[in-house]
Amino acid sequence: MTRLVNRHPDRPTRLLLAMLPFALLIAAYAIGSDLRLAENPNDKLLPSFRALGDAIERMAFTPDKRTGDYLLWVDTVASLTRIGGGVAIATVFGLLVGVSVGLLPYARATLGGFLSAVAMIPPLAILPILFILFGLGELSKFVLVFAGIGPFIARDIAMRVAELPTEQIIKAQTLGASTWQICTRVVLPQVWPRLMDSVRLSLGAAWLFLIAAEAVASQDGLGYRIFLMRRYLAMDVILPYVAWITVLAFSFDWLLRALQTRLFPWFALEGGSR
Amino acid sequence: MSRVEVRNLWKEYGDQVVLERITMDVAPHSFVSLVGPSGCGKSTFLRMLLSQEKPTRGSILVDGQPLADEPQPDRGVVFQKYSVFPHLTAVENVALGQEFARAPFTGRLFGRARRAALHEAGALLEGVGLGDARGKYPAQLSGGMQQRLAIAQALARKPRILLLDEPFGALDPGIRADIHDLMLSVWWDTRMTVFMVSHDLREAFYLGTRVVAFDRPTEKDASRFGARITFDIALDPAAPIKERLREAEHGSATDELGEELAAMAAQADRDDPAPGSTTRRDDPASRDGETA
Amino acid sequence: MTNPFKTVFRNTVIAAVAIVAIGLTAAAPAAQAAERTSFKLAWSIYVGWMPWGWAADTGIVDKWADRYGIDIEVVQFNDYIESINQYTAGAFDGVTATQMDALGIPSVGGVDTTALLIGDFSNGNDALILKDGDAVEDVIGRNVNLVELSVSHYLLARALETIGKAERDVTVVNTSDADMIAAYQTDDVTAVVTWNPLVAEILSMPNATKVFDSSDIPGEIIDLTVVNSETLADNPALGKALAGAWYETMSIMMSDTEEGRAARAAMGKASGTDLAGYDMQLASTKMFFDPAEAAAFGASADLKTTMDSVRTFLFDHGLLGDGAPSADVVGIEFADGTVMGDAANVKLRFTTRYMDMAADGDL
Repeated sequence: MTRLVNRHPDRPTRLLLAMLPFALLIAAYAIGSDLRLAENPNDKLLPSFRALGDAIERMAFTPDKRTGDYLLWVDTVASLTRIGGGVAIATVFGLLVGVSVGLLPYARATLGGFLSAVAMIPPLAILPILFILFGLGELSKFVLVFAGIGPFIARDIAMRVAELPTEQIIKAQTLGASTWQICTRVVLPQVWPRLMDSVRLSLGAAWLFLIAAEAVASQDGLGYRIFLMRRYLAMDVILPYVAWITVLAFSFDWLLRALQTRLFPWFALEGGSR
Repeated sequence: MSRVEVRNLWKEYGDQVVLERITMDVAPHSFVSLVGPSGCGKSTFLRMLLSQEKPTRGSILVDGQPLADEPQPDRGVVFQKYSVFPHLTAVENVALGQEFARAPFTGRLFGRARRAALHEAGALLEGVGLGDARGKYPAQLSGGMQQRLAIAQALARKPRILLLDEPFGALDPGIRADIHDLMLSVWWDTRMTVFMVSHDLREAFYLGTRVVAFDRPTEKDASRFGARITFDIALDPAAPIKERLREAEHGSATDELGEELAAMAAQADRDDPAPGSTTRRDDPASRDGETA
Repeated sequence: MTNPFKTVFRNTVIAAVAIVAIGLTAAAPAAQAAERTSFKLAWSIYVGWMPWGWAADTGIVDKWADRYGIDIEVVQFNDYIESINQYTAGAFDGVTATQMDALGIPSVGGVDTTALLIGDFSNGNDALILKDGDAVEDVIGRNVNLVELSVSHYLLARALETIGKAERDVTVVNTSDADMIAAYQTDDVTAVVTWNPLVAEILSMPNATKVFDSSDIPGEIIDLTVVNSETLADNPALGKALAGAWYETMSIMMSDTEEGRAARAAMGKASGTDLAGYDMQLASTKMFFDPAEAAAFGASADLKTTMDSVRTFLFDHGLLGDGAPSADVVGIEFADGTVMGDAANVKLRFTTRYMDMAADGDL
């Protein structure tokens, strides 16, 4: 008998196994939902698949009675704009600060400790300050997403840069490179794929902060809708929204990984993503 | 091709003395092998030659001029690993030196200038036997090929001094023999002065025109005394030992050879009148015309 | 080809589905039609519901539960909506809620709910507050920050109605109550609707004017203790114990004695203020200390008008279900037995039975 550690599922089995937890979850939901609906046909906690379908139809493909908008798409655009903006600012910030701190001893001496400390602040705990500084409008939502992941990305990038072997930096100098050239030709090109990893890792947190920001004050967005619907336990709307967010987040993750493999073939050769 | 003078060099980290009273003159176009036990400071010495570290006391002069205080293209380097850039192909790795030199702001050449630099780099790659690997990333190259690439890359800026930090230590013996030959021909053709740190006495004697050993004088209180030069042997390429090493290098290695080298080192150690005041015993000029 | 692995696999799948399904249904309605002896009541922090916490702490609830031979667990929620959701999902037998949320959440969700006790109505606790403005008219065209679909939202709709305007004349910005005070301090925010103690806090800031409050629509925002109708029908003891505990607490609390002050001070402390602060909130709350008064309010014709207005608001905002053809979809039964809306689908019931018992000393 082969050891369990040496037994590998073949391709179809792998596919089957991968789908199994999803199938289980759906089956369990169906059973739970049926049981509850038999008890109370209007149960809101675990609506039937038909009710979920109706809610999707209503939110995504029927104009809203009051505003005439297709709510799911309006919410999606609003949320993607916010998360996109926040992540973009955080990425640029993380890159600039991270590379400086990782590469330049003066920047490290000045910002290294500060960055480590700031990355530990839970932004949700200082929400009122963020509001008073940045208002309650769109800006504060970008800021919350940024504050949530910017310092993390910066710290991560600083660590990745510091991990580059000293030999490379010395070698570049013996080839006549200036600090700027080291930065642009040695450090940055090696940071890009790692930056993508860092952004991938922080996307989960970014969604969390986005939804928190939308829960605080807004007129649209996926998080807004979920919190509003929660007020009336409209799980038939909330569940498709959650699934939709999952799909969006998963797609971004997949997209970033695909881009990374395509743009930086050497990175995969070197051992690739964590 | 440069003359290197080391004057009463000390290196300390806090209370710990790593090197003390290192003095030596190195004639142009020497191949200096630096040997010694682990932690004896030979790599520290190499880093000072590179300006990666500064001496605590004393000075290093190259052709009578003090060393610049940071690494410069006049001194090339090959490390045991991480010498090449993983994100660049072989030919890009070699061309990088030219790009740094000619494009101060972008660090990148375009169009005709880029093609010229790549062509030049390609020629260097041919020279180290990597003509077929120009488009490959370092991770796609074997250890030996990576070190060949590192050598080609180090040559791109035509340094006068080449520093090797255990460059062949991680390679298999057969591959090592080939790369030794490459190293000797490169050294001979470029007229560089080479310093090589090595663990392997046989390699040190085979490649070097001079073998310098560092060691601490006493076992006790090791940290209060730095390593000094314990022997310094000049090796004429015509010396009988070289011939036997060449044979050994290409297959017929014997254990006796290692013992003999160790004995030679021990002898040199006793003969050495006073560490730190060695005399120059090598003169590569007199060996011109001999095959390396 | 029989692969033993596949058989094991299939059996595992079946077992796992069963386990997960059981887990999910464990939260199934606690309201099984049966006589029971142990019940759970959820309450959340609000001036009119603080007595539950105090009554539980001082043993009054246990005393009355013992009298009827049952157990009542009183659980405090920090999140009002979550307490109602938990009740609606079946995890609790009773909950404290406004009449609007009772209709909009459990009743619309098919959970037949009875308004057991009418605790109070808001008489100034909910307010529309403006910067740079001193009349409801000044809110037109502004962003109004409030908890959307809450009684604040209803209050805004009613305020706009009084000047012949509607919700489309302003822009509603959903804002979490936890952040309302910070929100008011930003320049973006120039109009809010919220409730006490937030109202008092905001009014203490410069440039804050109350232009409309719940005393302008008296009796329309009602704070209830509701229970599952089925559970109550099977277990009248639950209703009696709760009513007994509640009105004993009321009588202590209303008294101008050392004991009464101590009770109110404890309730104030539990809601993050002190005796003075709590008394101030009580001043803008019409508490029904007297069960007869509560019963009279519960039987009044005004309640019908109010419920009609509330259900219309909910219908307009799509909260009576998306397929709802009219506000009649959910039936509301009143104390006199009349039904507003679909008599075949009565899900919210007003009764004065238990308040009457308390008034008549029959508990």
